[in-house]
Amino acid sequence: MKFQIEEVTVYFPYDNIYPEQYTYMVELKRALDAKGHCLLEMPTGTGKTIALLSLITSYALAKTESPIKLIYCTRTVHEMEKTLAELKFLHNYQVKHLGAAAKMLAIGLSSRKNLCVNPTVSSAENRDSVDAACRKLTASWVRSMAAENPNQPTCEFYENYDRAAGGAVLPAGVYTLEDLRAFGKEKGWCPYFLARHMVQFANVVVYSYQYLLDPKVAGIISKEMQKESVVVFDEAHNIDNVCIEALSVSVRRQTLEGAIRNISRIENEIDRFKDIDAGRLRAEYNRLVEGLALRGDLSASDAWLANPALPDDILRQAVPGNIRRAEHFLHVLRRLVQYLKVKLDTDKVEKESPVSFVASINSDAGIDQKALKFCYDRLHSLLMTLEITDTDEFLHIQTICDFATLVGTYARGFSIIIEPFDERMPLIPDPVLQLCCHDASLAIKPVFDRFQSVVITSGTLSPIDLYPRLLNFHPVVSRSFKMSLTRDCICPMVLTRGSDQLPVSTKFDMRSDPGVVRNYGKLLVEMVSIVPDGIVCFFVSYSYMDGIINSWNESGILKDIMQHKLVFIETQDVVETTLALDNYRRACDCGRGAVFFSVARGKVAEGIDFDRHYGRLVIMFGVPFQYTESKILRARLEYLRDTFQIKEGDFLTFDALIDVMNIKLTDRNLNQRQAAQCVGRVIRSKADYGMMIFADKRYSRHDKRSKLPGWILSHLRDANLNLSTDMALHIAREFLRKMAQPYEKTGSTTGRKTLLSQEDVEKLGNNGAQEMLY
Amino acid sequence: MSSGQVTKRVKYKTSVKDAGTPGRLSLVKERLLFRPNNPNSASKLDMQFKYITNHRYTKEGSNKAPMLNLTSNQACSLFAYGVSYIFEFERYEDLHICRDFVGRALAPPVEAPNLGASSQVPSEQPSRDDLLFRARLLQDSSELQKLHQQFVGGGVLTEAEFWATRKKLLEKDSNTKSKQRGGLKSSVLGESKPLIDGRTNRVTFNLTPEIVREIFSEKPAVHRAYLNFVPSKVTEKDFWTKYFRAEYLQRSKNIAAAIAEAAEDEELAIFLKPDDILANETRRKIRRVDPTLDMEADQGDDYSHLPDHGILRDGSKEVPEPGNELYRRTLLQDLNRHAAVVLQGTPIDEEQLKDTQTVAEALERSKQERSTASKDDDSMADQERLKGISQAMTIDDLRGSNDHHLAPLWIKDPRDYFDSQQASSFRTSMEATKGSMSSQEAYGLLRESISQIKSMGLNHPIVAPEVAQKVLSVLTHNISSTKYNLGKKPGESLLDSLPTSVRDELLHHHISIEELMKHFWSSYPITTKYLNTKVIKLKDEMSKMDSQLQKLKETVQPDIRHQITLLIRPMQQALEAAMQHYDAEQQKRASKAREKPNGYS
Repeated sequence: MKFQIEEVTVYFPYDNIYPEQYTYMVELKRALDAKGHCLLEMPTGTGKTIALLSLITSYALAKTESPIKLIYCTRTVHEMEKTLAELKFLHNYQVKHLGAAAKMLAIGLSSRKNLCVNPTVSSAENRDSVDAACRKLTASWVRSMAAENPNQPTCEFYENYDRAAGGAVLPAGVYTLEDLRAFGKEKGWCPYFLARHMVQFANVVVYSYQYLLDPKVAGIISKEMQKESVVVFDEAHNIDNVCIEALSVSVRRQTLEGAIRNISRIENEIDRFKDIDAGRLRAEYNRLVEGLALRGDLSASDAWLANPALPDDILRQAVPGNIRRAEHFLHVLRRLVQYLKVKLDTDKVEKESPVSFVASINSDAGIDQKALKFCYDRLHSLLMTLEITDTDEFLHIQTICDFATLVGTYARGFSIIIEPFDERMPLIPDPVLQLCCHDASLAIKPVFDRFQSVVITSGTLSPIDLYPRLLNFHPVVSRSFKMSLTRDCICPMVLTRGSDQLPVSTKFDMRSDPGVVRNYGKLLVEMVSIVPDGIVCFFVSYSYMDGIINSWNESGILKDIMQHKLVFIETQDVVETTLALDNYRRACDCGRGAVFFSVARGKVAEGIDFDRHYGRLVIMFGVPFQYTESKILRARLEYLRDTFQIKEGDFLTFDALIDVMNIKLTDRNLNQRQAAQCVGRVIRSKADYGMMIFADKRYSRHDKRSKLPGWILSHLRDANLNLSTDMALHIAREFLRKMAQPYEKTGSTTGRKTLLSQEDVEKLGNNGAQEMLY
Repeated sequence: MSSGQVTKRVKYKTSVKDAGTPGRLSLVKERLLFRPNNPNSASKLDMQFKYITNHRYTKEGSNKAPMLNLTSNQACSLFAYGVSYIFEFERYEDLHICRDFVGRALAPPVEAPNLGASSQVPSEQPSRDDLLFRARLLQDSSELQKLHQQFVGGGVLTEAEFWATRKKLLEKDSNTKSKQRGGLKSSVLGESKPLIDGRTNRVTFNLTPEIVREIFSEKPAVHRAYLNFVPSKVTEKDFWTKYFRAEYLQRSKNIAAAIAEAAEDEELAIFLKPDDILANETRRKIRRVDPTLDMEADQGDDYSHLPDHGILRDGSKEVPEPGNELYRRTLLQDLNRHAAVVLQGTPIDEEQLKDTQTVAEALERSKQERSTASKDDDSMADQERLKGISQAMTIDDLRGSNDHHLAPLWIKDPRDYFDSQQASSFRTSMEATKGSMSSQEAYGLLRESISQIKSMGLNHPIVAPEVAQKVLSVLTHNISSTKYNLGKKPGESLLDSLPTSVRDELLHHHISIEELMKHFWSSYPITTKYLNTKVIKLKDEMSKMDSQLQKLKETVQPDIRHQITLLIRPMQQALEAAMQHYDAEQQKRASKAREKPNGYS
């Protein structure tokens, strides 16, 4: 459908629209008009992404005089793929109705690992080895060597791309990663470098948060984005986590050992170069004297991960004299590693500020702050000079230099915490030195400064007024939308007792009780026999899941479950989990039905949707907990209190909803946000439906339950607060039967419309949206 | 026609029940001659093949005598349109020879003169393939076979007529469709626990071909090892002993022991090592996984979790358990693998589940087939999936109208399937209604109170009023209960409450009547003699059926007679309607015939 929001004609690829989507677009347009940042919260299942995409692309179409670019950030690659699929759908619609004028270029960008089409390179195990394998074939010195020596292997895809030079462009269209690979294969061009090149020209770029937030990556990928861009952070409820992680480094014993090996190898290389090409090292020295940390003309294929510090904080100065010479720099590194080794050798937890840490390095190891700060650039330059391509071997020394640069750059917002062992496992010594960032606003600041509009949106952003403080910005629009449902398509239940009427819980004293294990099993056995298609189960932890599945297997419960549905399980191996998920979907698609066992804090819970028939029922076994005495957590809380005046109480409400910290002082180990995250993915649209069972007696207490998101709470009827297995079974049967009935989609019977047609929207446009809807 | 002439001893009959005239049947090129042994007998026959329209014969193996039935359209009398000549042979071999001869002789004259009639008669010259296919259809469906036996065997319908109404079944499409295979069972067979007897240190594993299939398809390395080593290097028994030893070590989680044993025994080590074939397959599959859930790609894109970057220990991450990676295989992995295999289905038929060797070989063959066939399938399937993904991304209720392309549900034996569903739901409803008393219980109560009276003498009142009330109400209720309860409950069905034998009989009758009706009504209006004879035959069969129904009604036990009557009534009505129609037609025809004494030809 096509409608007006003020002067902008919005092309929306469906015949109907939810009223929430309409108002969401109205608010978003105001923010774009004001060229400011905004915060928008709208529950899952209301088509946030498509609303965002169609408004922003329509806005760009309307304002041809000042074209805006959309930078859409997702948390994960699979969310990126989903976004691109929706964008493709939208683009097809717009082209159909507007013709060639609506054509645009949209690309998804990822790492070499996901884009490389060179069979020898892409077969490498992990990302770092793919990166290294690529450099081995494409580094500028390798290619110049190949020009003389035909036996030197190069990458034909890169060579072709390089030869095509300016001619290598992507025609308009929407490109998923697979599309890019296919295009690259067809043309014989390297898709990775092509995509990176096209990022500057694309109308829409979709990539993950880190490409904008992590200075190491943003430095090479997102340097040249124009100011007239709209940046969208989708599913941004834990954006602050991404921000602080981007600036944190941890050093372990293995890191230090690896770093020592790296240093010796660099030493050997230097010796080798002294013999064959001493001039090169001298040239590097001269360059450093002139103040150029790097050669200005780095080719794209040489690019390394960038400086871990934020661009504004990097000194534009000459590298200090004491580390200009390669040998001197290596001595500095050796002393640094030695110092860290001593530091790590402690038997008690230590917490330090960066300032005091730098001071003690200076006094004990004789390395001053400025030298530390330049460590990263100096190392980078050295490795380039030495023409080292197997970069994956040098990750350890790189970590040490990242650490040094960060600790030398930032005096505030960080702390250094040394822990001799994991507090949950005090018997296993595993010392870690962590440089942790507490201030999420640091990493995101350049983004707010650089771009015209930044949109932060998610299904859950409450309390919404905390985000501006946490991220330190001033939104022009900050709104939270409610979802209007046509029918009660969500059925949450709290199950407190098993079939034998005894309480169930994963509380520490009860979790290994065989009665509880059996009751949980019985619940699932009953449910698999009545719920069609897919069921998802979440457990509190891997170890708990492992234990309970093993005991179900021994007692035959698993066999009973398998009589009705296939069983797939999330494991700690990502590849296996991905395949299990894929098979799970297939089983749901073909009608066989399946159960997926997952972990509340695992990767699946974080980002995979179980909408429609992929998740008719979600069972949360127990209350997810977190180890809350973590020193890092405490340090962060302290910092937030001192710097942003965020009171602990404020933060705790926030906390309960967002998986930032998940601590509750009154009753520790509770993290309802996590539970909500798990069960919140069953709804895809208002036509969808799903049930949720919170199986733990603790959910029946009001103080725990109230931490669940409002949209779940509003459907939680009092009668469903304290159920046993048989009652839950009855309710589930009734619910499923009710949902199978045909219903009036527009919701006109209930008085307020939950679905708008073209006509309705036009009427709204005339009367002013606000009056009618709110 | 190599022999030119065939002569056999036969008995000539005009009907099946006829005793027959013994004599000789000679078949020459264009005609058939029958010379009775008794030269005085009137039943000489000399007939040209072109008048013969149809031939049937008894099947070998049926307990009937070998007979050949030739139908002629030679108009001897007015209504005896389809005269049949039946020859009973002494042996089946003779029958076959003559049948082939007649078949060959009849082949050309099909399109020969007499068009008026032959266009109406379904031609009876199915190809060999067709015959084979029909036989297979009959074999596949017992229901069809019964019908075929009843009507074609009983002479009510000809083979061609029978199949003419089932053109759809015969279509080549359905022919090429592969037979539906039963899926694999979901439960893990190989996980069956070892039997441990308490006294000795002996552990017993049970192995069936089904389990072997499961092991081989879930663990390709074991399969390969079997193909390589058995029987050339180790015996089958040793192979499995080693396999289960390895399994046992795995299960006991005694990793140190496993490593020690593997070091000594290289074959055992094969079972303990991670499966390299599987690893390859995984690598291949992960490239084609649905991109909207590809978490592996996430990992490849995650630059903020470079080793040692990010926050390591904020309490949110779990610490992975340390362990010897090489010999670690968890139950969870096994379960995932098992479910994947079940989902994929098996290429092996039930019949092939004989012994380990055949299972191993069949699996190997199918694997090769699949690998050659899948190459081009893959890209197609990928396209399909991608389309599916973009479809899944759309929001259903925002679209105006959506035309779902639904795949038809395909259940091999629908009746079996729905019956089992029904039965289970019926069982529950039966349990639920147990509250009301059965007549026996009520009777018991009555007797109890009578005996009470006997022992205690007549008190006042004689019978406790509440007991009397109960007895009476239950008894009366039971009498009329069927009337009250029938069709009231959704889960309950009349048919399911009947004994199986009666139910089967009823269903069979129902199907037979359906078949008859189909043929009967499709024969109207009667335009040819052929149709006329057919209708007459059908009518006879129908009246037989009617009496059978009646008999069934009378023989069943009285307590279900009411239900049976209800069920039979519609069938009888159908039969009656057909009969009435037949009679009316007959009268009309008779009056017409009187007007036109020549009849019609």
